[in-house]
Amino acid sequence: MTQQQPENNNEKLRVGVYVCHCGTNIAGVIDPKEVVEFAKGLPDVVHSAETLYACADSGQNQIKEDIKKHNLNRVIVSACSVRMHEATFRGAVSEAGLNPFLMEMANIREQCTWAHGHDREGALEKAKDLTASAVAKSRFLTSLDMIEVPVTQKAMVIGAGVAGISAALDLADQGIQTILVEKEPTIGGVMAQLNKTFPTMDCSI
Amino acid sequence: MVDAARHPRIDVRTFTEVEKVEGFVGNFKVTLREKAKYVIADRCNGCGDCARVCPIEVPNYFDMNLAPRKAAYVPMSQSVPLVYNIDLDACIHCYKCVDACGALEAIDFSQEDQLVEEDIGAMIVATGFSHFDPSVMDEYGYSRYPNVITSMEMERLNNSAGPTAGNLIRPSDNKNPQKLAFINCVGSRDKRYNPSCSNFCCMYSIKNAILLKQMNPNVDITIYYIDIRTPSKGYEEFYDRAREMGIHFSQGRPSLITEDPETHNLFVHSEDVTLGKVMEKEYDMVMLNQAAVPQPDQNHMSSVLNVAQSPGGWFMEYHPKLRPMDSPTDGVFFAGACQGPKDIPSSVAQGSAASSRASRILQSDHWEIEPTVAVVFPERCSATTRGRACGICAKACPYGAINIFSPETPAEVVTAKCHGCGACVAECPEDAITQLHFTDAQILAQMRAVLADKPEEKILAFRCHWCSYGGADLAGTSHFEYSANERGLRVMCSARMDTDFIYEAYRLGAGSVLYSGCHPQDCHYITGQLIGAKRASRLEKIFDKMGMTDGRFRVEWISAAEGDKYARVLNEMQAVLDDIPMEDLKAEIEKLKPEMSKRLKKFPGVPGVQEAMDYSDILVDAITKQKETA
Ligand SMILES: Cc1cc2nc3c(=O)[nH]c(=O)nc-3n(C[C@H](O)[C@H](O)[C@H](O)COP(=O)(O)OP(=O)(O)OC[C@H]3O[C@@H](n4cnc5c(N)ncnc54)[C@H](O)[C@@H]3O)c2cc1C
Ligand code: SF4
Ligand code: SF4
Ligand code: SF4
Repeated sequence: MTQQQPENNNEKLRVGVYVCHCGTNIAGVIDPKEVVEFAKGLPDVVHSAETLYACADSGQNQIKEDIKKHNLNRVIVSACSVRMHEATFRGAVSEAGLNPFLMEMANIREQCTWAHGHDREGALEKAKDLTASAVAKSRFLTSLDMIEVPVTQKAMVIGAGVAGISAALDLADQGIQTILVEKEPTIGGVMAQLNKTFPTMDCSI
Repeated sequence: MVDAARHPRIDVRTFTEVEKVEGFVGNFKVTLREKAKYVIADRCNGCGDCARVCPIEVPNYFDMNLAPRKAAYVPMSQSVPLVYNIDLDACIHCYKCVDACGALEAIDFSQEDQLVEEDIGAMIVATGFSHFDPSVMDEYGYSRYPNVITSMEMERLNNSAGPTAGNLIRPSDNKNPQKLAFINCVGSRDKRYNPSCSNFCCMYSIKNAILLKQMNPNVDITIYYIDIRTPSKGYEEFYDRAREMGIHFSQGRPSLITEDPETHNLFVHSEDVTLGKVMEKEYDMVMLNQAAVPQPDQNHMSSVLNVAQSPGGWFMEYHPKLRPMDSPTDGVFFAGACQGPKDIPSSVAQGSAASSRASRILQSDHWEIEPTVAVVFPERCSATTRGRACGICAKACPYGAINIFSPETPAEVVTAKCHGCGACVAECPEDAITQLHFTDAQILAQMRAVLADKPEEKILAFRCHWCSYGGADLAGTSHFEYSANERGLRVMCSARMDTDFIYEAYRLGAGSVLYSGCHPQDCHYITGQLIGAKRASRLEKIFDKMGMTDGRFRVEWISAAEGDKYARVLNEMQAVLDDIPMEDLKAEIEKLKPEMSKRLKKFPGVPGVQEAMDYSDILVDAITKQKETA
């Protein structure tokens, strides 16, 4: 396993910024165009555009095409929460040949327009700052590869009560060699000590 | 049970304990202690001749010590595997068993415990539960009054394979009881011992009452309960059946049991809350349905397996709703009651569920993990600079992912074990560790961006990914409005929130800073939050001493379910800022800047930080220019 680099300070950056409308979820509170224009003035930003729904196929395709057309090596998506769509956009950029960890999101929906509907001006300022923050982080992002580890295809189940026995049987039936470890001289756990058991009232062994 | 022992792919190791677990997902090395049975398993045919001739009797744990077993024994006649054990503590070395075993020569007193190492890819922990000992509850007289027994004792006495062949008798006079009481929630739902519900005792008390009533319809049975809990399929019907059979139910926890010393009959004192009556009723026998509690060695196992425990002591799952079978350690899963009391149907279901979680890993010869891990700069580690690794990082790591092989060798991160909490990164006094995707330079650049313009008006909010960031999301999703002056930054765990970031935020002129992570029991990195919390309270003291206005630095633990709290905290923080006249705030910020700078002397030397500062100067210029033109 080669050690991955924490930062890359010398790379010449070509950042693309996408500001999502999310229908009216974002565009109903702020004007995405203003964020797009703002982003154009930030260092290394070579392309900045609105998108109606960044997560939709059309939005993803727009990003993928731009990566090739503008030769982008960083992508910023100002849209919703990373908990919602980070995986989506990581997938999209990697389909266009960009390392997924070179995509950064700014959460201007859950943490901006949805939370500051009463303060449109404040929301716009915040959306700009969050977008700038993502651009800033992207300056120091590096390509990262998933870490691959080998797997010993063998299992261990510790404790041979009814839960452990059930787990071991299912693993073994799936073809996996399984060691079932029990500290007492017999397997069975508490269930083996019980009289008939609810709900079926059958014998417990 | 027999199916498991017969399965060609299951290797059953009884009388065996886990001694040590090393490695990481896909690559665990487990050391097992196979305790000496003094019987050679392959030779023993289970005939039991040894037990028949053995002259020594000791109480059998399996029968809750109500019946004896020999020193040469199996816990029960259906033991799996059916291999006898010699209990050396009880044995008097008469060697009658050796003679009885004869030509089989299965008994071997020279056996010793064996330590064996096994390489495995994933493991399922299913160590179950134990039983609350009601003798600590003086009011019920268990162990003082012979006819007060526990539910587990009841299970053995009422069991056709048990010591009385299923004939339930009173320990005081061996008579069959005619009037019985069951008391529920003994040690459960009781703040003194165990605040939670034990899940299955309502159901088994009904079960045992029905079984007794079926055997003898004339017995009189009362179940004392607080609430009857029957939430699974068919369970309420089971309860209905008990009532139709004439089993009595009395709501209210009994306060006292007294005994007639002559007859050994018992008097249960209680207040029936539905009748509103204080009662004292006489019984032949009383069953205490004792709480399910964690195994006595659960703390020990939790450190061997490197998994966390919930407040009650049970093993803690990765996420109670979304990843209930996973432990926080990749490749380690839970099933059954070790994670909290559950009945047989749920335990079986969990066993299957855990096996499917484990087989996701085991079906392939490799596994991928997120690369957002810690990385050491060996040249900065004190091992290199001063010849002595301080070891702070290794101590901080919740996963034991950091090796320091000798005082002179720099710390090493075992990448596959690292979960990327960032605790070591923030704790290292030499700034010799960073975290991929969450480097100091990246975070500093973000801070500079959001504090570029009117920093004194801003509330910089550090949030952990799993909880507080989720709480902020939920605030938005629920449209709980809060101050738009908040500027959020995300790290994976509060453990990553370096003191340098906080000082730097104030040096850059931030109005307020929020330091926010999960509640300790929700931490996705076992003990990450504890590290973050300790650091935060240190910072609180420092800022207090500096004379910073109360509330400009705030520490809050906010779960992903607490959107309302996130909004409230932010609004309160805004109110604090609103209360300080702008001139005073600016003066305070300026006054404290030198204090911050003093503490940040080493910060520019951290790898990447100087570059981030240089870049940020350009960025801040651009941001200000853009905002002016707008
Ligand atoms: C009185 C009573 C009556 C009950 N009646 C019913 C009923 O009628 N119906 C029903 O559905 N449920 C009933 N239950 C609940 C039932 O007992 C549990 O659901 C079930 O036993 C849980 O199974 P388990 O495998 O998780 O744990 P356990 O049965 O506790 O099994 C755990 C196993 O792990 C082993 N072990 C523990 N630590 C280690 C270690 N460190 N290394 C190796 N092995 C270890 C133990 O020796 C044990 O064999 C009853 C419970 C009680 C107390
Ligand atoms: S299951 Fe019933 S008896 Fe058991 S602790 Fe819960 S409420 Fe009490
Ligand atoms: S805390 Fe830092 S200096 Fe100390 S051993 Fe770990 S890496 Fe080295
Ligand atoms: S402390 Fe956290 S980041 Fe550091 S090695 Fe351990 S798991 Fe990884």
